[in-house]
Amino acid sequence: MVGLSEGEKQFLRGGIEQDLRSDGRTRHQFRSVYVETGVIPQANGSARVRLGATEVIASIKAELGKPSLLHPDKGKVSIFVDCSPTAAAIYGGKGGEELSMELSVALERCLLGGKSGAGAAIDLSSLVLVEGKVCWDLYIDALVVSSDGNLLDSLAAAIKAALSNTGLPKVNVVLGASPEEQPEVDVSDEEFLQFDTSTVPAIITLTKVGKHYIVDATSEEESQMNSAVSVSVNRNGQICGLTKRGGAGLDPSVILDMVSVAKHVSQQFTSDLDSEIAAAEASDE
Amino acid sequence: MGPPPTLPTSHSFSSPSPKTLQETKTPFEIRFALLSSLSIQNHGMRHLKGEIGVVSKADGSALFEMGNTRVIAAVYGPKEIQNKGQQMNNNEALVRCEYSMANFSTGDRTRRPKGDRRSTEISLVIRQTMEACILTKLMPRSQIDIFVQVLQADGGTRSACINAATLALADAGVPMRDIITSCSAGYLCTTPLLDLNYAEDSAGGPDVTVGILAKMDKVTLLQMDAKLPLDTFENVMQLAIEGCKAVAQYIREILLENTKQLESRRGS
Amino acid sequence: MAASTYSPSQGAERRQRQQQMRRLSIQSDWDRSDGRSFIQCRPAFLRTGAANAASGSAYAEFGTTKVIVSVFGPRESKKAMMYSDIGRLNCNVTFTTFATSLRGQGSDNKEYSAMLHKALEGAVILETFPKTTVDVFALVLESGGSDLPVIISCASLALADAGIMMYDLVSSVSVSCIGKNILIDPTNEEEVCQDGSLVLACMPARNEVTQLTLTGEWSLPKINEAMELCMDACLKLAGIMRSCLKESANLSN
Repeated sequence: MVGLSEGEKQFLRGGIEQDLRSDGRTRHQFRSVYVETGVIPQANGSARVRLGATEVIASIKAELGKPSLLHPDKGKVSIFVDCSPTAAAIYGGKGGEELSMELSVALERCLLGGKSGAGAAIDLSSLVLVEGKVCWDLYIDALVVSSDGNLLDSLAAAIKAALSNTGLPKVNVVLGASPEEQPEVDVSDEEFLQFDTSTVPAIITLTKVGKHYIVDATSEEESQMNSAVSVSVNRNGQICGLTKRGGAGLDPSVILDMVSVAKHVSQQFTSDLDSEIAAAEASDE
Repeated sequence: MGPPPTLPTSHSFSSPSPKTLQETKTPFEIRFALLSSLSIQNHGMRHLKGEIGVVSKADGSALFEMGNTRVIAAVYGPKEIQNKGQQMNNNEALVRCEYSMANFSTGDRTRRPKGDRRSTEISLVIRQTMEACILTKLMPRSQIDIFVQVLQADGGTRSACINAATLALADAGVPMRDIITSCSAGYLCTTPLLDLNYAEDSAGGPDVTVGILAKMDKVTLLQMDAKLPLDTFENVMQLAIEGCKAVAQYIREILLENTKQLESRRGS
Repeated sequence: MAASTYSPSQGAERRQRQQQMRRLSIQSDWDRSDGRSFIQCRPAFLRTGAANAASGSAYAEFGTTKVIVSVFGPRESKKAMMYSDIGRLNCNVTFTTFATSLRGQGSDNKEYSAMLHKALEGAVILETFPKTTVDVFALVLESGGSDLPVIISCASLALADAGIMMYDLVSSVSVSCIGKNILIDPTNEEEVCQDGSLVLACMPARNEVTQLTLTGEWSLPKINEAMELCMDACLKLAGIMRSCLKESANLSN
């Protein structure tokens, strides 16, 4: 928990009202993003993202699996978030589980799209190798190493960077003569297919402090929030997911305003992130 | 930072005789014995890397790498005891430790529950080892939390965790008797091996993990699985202790470098 | 209606039906399987006092979705909890083993529990019961679509029945987006083939949204349209909930 005195609280709130936050940023300004890719050698793709003092690592692991009966034409993606106790002492023991689950659910909602797959960050049908028989199962594991607010946005950015770092090996599937027979799978270790990450949305969390909303709140600022709205926006400016956090109620018109602000902010953030990812990929090779 | 020290290979190397090869049972073991006999010759310590201050919100933190094994340690405290029930002794600080492994830390992806038996055991080992060097008497009625997070596991995680915890405690400014360092050693194909990686560890040979107080030359941690003749054990343990000393040397360099940087920042 | 037993061949059959439904939905107009129009909710049946042992309880039936919620407390918070000068809300959502057409899916649903908690905590005046905890246990007897909104509405009714102070009743409605159309209060069949969904919980009298989640791809005007639809439906649902409470109060008098 963040311990703040009355004076510090006043200072934070006053700064936000005057559009000059305690670290010198304006209300709608992100901290600088730092991206490093390929940090976990045993994963198919991985990335570390730093946003101020917040640091997260995401890794993508692909395994061959069988599509589910209900969706034979789709692969599977699952997202797990873990909050390491190194980030904050309260995440020790079972303390981080609730937050981990909240973040996992919010990410799944924002990145996996609707039931029919509309608005998904990863096209699930592109993961299928043989319909009903073989598909890729993507396991996205993220770890919060250091936490200074705005975990959800950093996690989404790290997942995007990790996905653009991911190479799926080319697979040759030889079907058996009878349908019951297990298909033979030949995984190439030379040819890799790259992911198209242009559809991956960015998550922008707007935190409402007093009458104003700020982006990329630090943990001090988050402790002063009434409520927050996390919006995921893709490159076309479409909204791909939305989660409200914090208990206090919000007027519907305020929510709509927050969504449009998020949409506006996302353009700048997405282009910043993309250039950081490109730079990280270039230095990785 | 200076180049990581490589240990002088003082132990003599003898290639496995054909007889020993016949005694080994499975083809895998034979292949492994051959493979390792090729690589053992230069096998000293793996590449070491340490970095201080990787978690900005923690009171002290460090990253430590031994080859492909990579861990982060963060120290919170000394601070007020949160759960009064855990306070054992009024006169000294309570040291707590939690070890956790990231889902992506191993080759096969497994989703492990928090607090399984292995991590509870390692947490206990690390806690007891660190308690031996922290001057707990100086900080009565307070608590020190040590969290270690394994990012990549390739053998010797407990040694790496102890080394990272030492660095993090030093970074946090927790008073300590001495620097504790740890290293493991094993014995494969009649050769003592320093700092086993995962493949060497899983070959089934003995694995001796030693932790020492570097300057005082005292052993605070000693663990071994499998069996070894007593005279060989002494050799292997001696090798591990040498490894510990090499790590201590490296850790001292990092701390010195860090202190110099702090000084220059203060001066400017 | 969903088949009562499950076998792989029927799975394929169901899939076909889904695809058929999707094809249909791309066209602008079709009849919903239960004959409703796009912006017509299922008939709501609400009763309070469904469980005698609880401090307050409510039963809700929206079409085939059947939910029972019981509220216990306020009771003393566990000793291990830190002192708190406001009350705690402990929410738990469980599915029965026979709630879904796939048997044995029943268990605690942590995701729904967290969402229910967030939808209610803004409405309950926690300052009125410091150091204590109120337990909200929701049991889904049958899952027939729009489960979470029904759970939220039913839970706030149960809280009111238990006499827990609230700023307002929380009512909740969801919409599904299929093709170009927005369907209110979707059934299971419609939820499976939806392109996106929006769940909104609000306090109608205060015009405040306590919980809002959205999946799938939406444009801003469409969100606006869906939210307006939901707010209006919530207002009307709150009217039904209020009359249900009045009725039970009259009965007890």
